[in-house]
Amino acid sequence: MQTFLTALFTGTSHGAIYALVALGLVLVWRGAGLINFAQMGQAMFSAYIASTIINHHINYWWAFIVAIIAGGALGGAIDVLVIRPLKKKSGSSILSSPSMRDAIPVIASLGILGILQSAAGMIWAGEERGFPAPVSTLGLSIGKRAMPFTRFDIFVIVLIWLILIATTLLLNKTSVGLAMRASALNMEVARLSGIRTRSIRTLGWILSGSLASVAGLMVAPATNVSPNSLDLLMIIGFTACVIGGLNSLWGSVTGAFILGLTISFINIYDAPGDVFLGIFAILIAVMIFRPSGLFAKGKARNV
Amino acid sequence: MLKIENLTVNFDANSALDNVSFSAEVGKITTVIGANGAGKSTLLRTISGLKAPKSGSITWRDSELVGMRPEAIVRAGVALVPEGHAVIPELTIDENIRMGALFRLRKAKSDVTTAIAEMYELFPQLADRRKAPSSTLSGGERQMLAIARALVSRPEILLLDEPSLGLAPLIVKQIIGIIEELCRKSGLTVLLVEQNANTALDVADHGVLLALGKVVADRPAKDLRADVSLREAYLGY
Repeated sequence: MQTFLTALFTGTSHGAIYALVALGLVLVWRGAGLINFAQMGQAMFSAYIASTIINHHINYWWAFIVAIIAGGALGGAIDVLVIRPLKKKSGSSILSSPSMRDAIPVIASLGILGILQSAAGMIWAGEERGFPAPVSTLGLSIGKRAMPFTRFDIFVIVLIWLILIATTLLLNKTSVGLAMRASALNMEVARLSGIRTRSIRTLGWILSGSLASVAGLMVAPATNVSPNSLDLLMIIGFTACVIGGLNSLWGSVTGAFILGLTISFINIYDAPGDVFLGIFAILIAVMIFRPSGLFAKGKARNV
Repeated sequence: MLKIENLTVNFDANSALDNVSFSAEVGKITTVIGANGAGKSTLLRTISGLKAPKSGSITWRDSELVGMRPEAIVRAGVALVPEGHAVIPELTIDENIRMGALFRLRKAKSDVTTAIAEMYELFPQLADRRKAPSSTLSGGERQMLAIARALVSRPEILLLDEPSLGLAPLIVKQIIGIIEELCRKSGLTVLLVEQNANTALDVADHGVLLALGKVVADRPAKDLRADVSLREAYLGY
């Protein structure tokens, strides 16, 4: 029983982190129509910044806030400096075919990932750094009973659920949220309604960058920080989006929790080596039976 | 006055505009009629900034619209209801209407509330189902919603692209009636593009006939309505 509960809590807490990654990807996908492969590179970069701050004996929470701002700023900068100019050139011959127009920003995001990882390597000498957690990551006991979770698990789950709820409220209950949804669903009608879709899109990039940074900080105590330390998180987050359906916010979040639990149960009951087999099996099953994702309405895109 | 001068737009072969000039008087209904592919939609999309012209100028109240972004043109008081019941079906009816007023929230919050209430008075069919997704609406109701979305921004000039397309005659009558009333009572300037020439010329003050991207007639609507030979030549009836 104890083992089962441990797997359940670990899975939920990891699933929550994947959910943030997935949410960040969905926000950019719906706003700008591309998978931002640089997302966890941005998070890695801001985790290094946070780590530098903490190394100067400044409070964890200041580092936390700076990392969130840095992640958002990087996201916004990528949109303004790279993606916007690329869209502007859509009249040039290489961008005249629709498939190239879709592919080029994605390739650009891979390039940005490379730049961020190299830059982190140059600035911080590519060293692997330990990263603290704000609360204990060791087994928690109440009275004499060992609990199946740690303080940090609870912290992660609560923090991320608050973020998920806040994001949902932002999108569904505020004017900015309405503008974001309208721009994502039908850019032309949104523009004809006077919505500045370009700024709204940048806002999506900023939000996505900040969410990814939080995810990075939550996973860093376990993985440490190095230029490639968040690559795996990106792969899992992207898989969660594919499982849940890229167009569906809560679908992707659910996909993330499914993956978190699957990974955790395989880790504990089977062997860590089978984790990727498990992820792959789920991915293939979804691609065969529900290619547009478990929770997506509408049809899959022809690739 | 909306003034269009020597406007040339390249689009695909059969819906371009070739050196088009005419103007629409403030507080009047001007209609642009013509057969399919005459360039009517291209004209409205160019005025709204969705298409860049090759040359020429479009001025509204002496400010140049060419080169402005669509969202800025809306903010300047020029609203378009595009062809085909342009609403966002995934959003609720209320959200679709509110969307049109978002940009005015900061400066005129109380007027936005008034404007939204006015829309529900104007189109009572929409008022009962505010929270329903607009995908549940009929074609006519969607067109009303699209018009409400444009009107809630309190435009000075409303551009309508084929509002009657695919709708039952009774609904068309209601919609055209509302537009006419808005023009006569509150001085809204209207530029109405229609394939259904008779309906449009009946309500309009002025008519412009487009054929293959060129203006072939620019006269008071009554004269155009009476000119049988011209209509037979260009519209086929």
